[in-house]
Amino acid sequence: MAYDFSVVLRFQDALALGLWMTIKLTLICVVLGCSLGFFIGLARTSRSAFLRAVSSIYVEFFRGTPVLVQLFWIFFCLPLILGVELSNLASGVIALTLYMGAITSETFRASLKSIGPEQLDACVALGLPRRVQVTSVILPQAVLRAVPTLLSNCVSLFKESALVSAVGMADLMFVGQNISNNTARPVEVLTVVALIYFVIAFPLTRAVTLVERRVLAKLAI
Amino acid sequence: MTMSFSAPLVKIKSLHKSYGPHIQVLKGLDIEMKPGERVVVIGPSGGGKSTLLRVMMGLEKIDSGSISFAGKPYISSEAADKKTVIDTEVRRSIGMVFQHYTLFPHLNVIQNLILAPCKVRGENKASATKRAQALLERFGLGAKASAYPAQLSGGQKQRVAIARALMLDPKLMLFDEVTSALDPELVAEVEQVILQLAAQDMPMMIVTHDMWFAKNIASRVIFCAGGVVVEDGPPEQVLGSPKEERTRDFIERVFHIRH
Repeated sequence: MAYDFSVVLRFQDALALGLWMTIKLTLICVVLGCSLGFFIGLARTSRSAFLRAVSSIYVEFFRGTPVLVQLFWIFFCLPLILGVELSNLASGVIALTLYMGAITSETFRASLKSIGPEQLDACVALGLPRRVQVTSVILPQAVLRAVPTLLSNCVSLFKESALVSAVGMADLMFVGQNISNNTARPVEVLTVVALIYFVIAFPLTRAVTLVERRVLAKLAI
Repeated sequence: MTMSFSAPLVKIKSLHKSYGPHIQVLKGLDIEMKPGERVVVIGPSGGGKSTLLRVMMGLEKIDSGSISFAGKPYISSEAADKKTVIDTEVRRSIGMVFQHYTLFPHLNVIQNLILAPCKVRGENKASATKRAQALLERFGLGAKASAYPAQLSGGQKQRVAIARALMLDPKLMLFDEVTSALDPELVAEVEQVILQLAAQDMPMMIVTHDMWFAKNIASRVIFCAGGVVVEDGPPEQVLGSPKEERTRDFIERVFHIRH
């Protein structure tokens, strides 16, 4: 069988639109998910037993169920329960944000925990009030330490966002699948789709390594 | 005996401290420190030296006893619920430097120095920076103002840590084994800085294993073992011809004297 990659070029506009949807969805969920994860991470290390319990249940639930099931649930069950129609994009954003929030909260929690008790000793010896300890010493270090892992989380989200094609969102994967079905050229189309994901994700994973090295060099004491 | 009317700077009264139910670290410590004194605390590991300093800084809970600073009690234990009460206003007169530098790694040297003055005392950034720069110059660190802690040697980090504590104009400095983590060739530069402070009559309490340093800086040496003060006196006595058998054993061991 002869491969004909020109079929991909004929559909380049559709693929570009799909890619744009993938990128848009990823960026929105990166911002919302990381913000959510930050506060959930704080809640999980909080002194309040109530906050710890609620945040733990949330995190364990979303880490312990398949993302695909979460997506289906939000797309098909949530509208029934709420009694409101949600747009595809809104449902996708809600689902992936909740998922990303759970994942990144673990990242923030780990980085908060990695700050040694001697940093708090120094804060006390300098007479820093609790608020200043948190905002000027603990949080900046925690965020800095979290950055490399957060970037990894973001790259993962970019790749896993392909799952939304299963619920009919017109992302890169969805468009690719449609073209491949309609043209009966799965090898050409799906290979190109895979390459597009790779060309974007690969430099990002390399960047993570570089950022990690720089962050570690800076925080090494 | 001459009567002294100067009130003690620090008064530690029957201080007890334990970690858990079985490990008693301080078993009724009584120490009075006069203004201008430089007290070096020596003794075997686990004898409670570092714990004493940490308690004085308010970093540890106590079981019972009290500590006053300049006549004001600032650390005490409530008999009823065994809660340690700390007067943070009084505590701010005390500065402390630790064995492991504890600089803030995400802030550069100047930022490390001005954080507390700006955030605690509300000093404006320009004046704090000016004071910080002057202090760094004095400690031979003028060129390191914008360096990050990770870019400094151990000795430089420790000098920055001392400068950071001095930014708050402490009336008493606590040094907890500040040269123990340093490479031998870096010890002198840190000790020089502390000697410089001593020359300006800064009251200090120092825990150290460096007997040369102890001899050179102390106006008084306390030998602490098993959670109590075993011997207390001028350095010539405690380090030179100790009266107590336990002190003698310890001093002989650390000075490697062979008979």
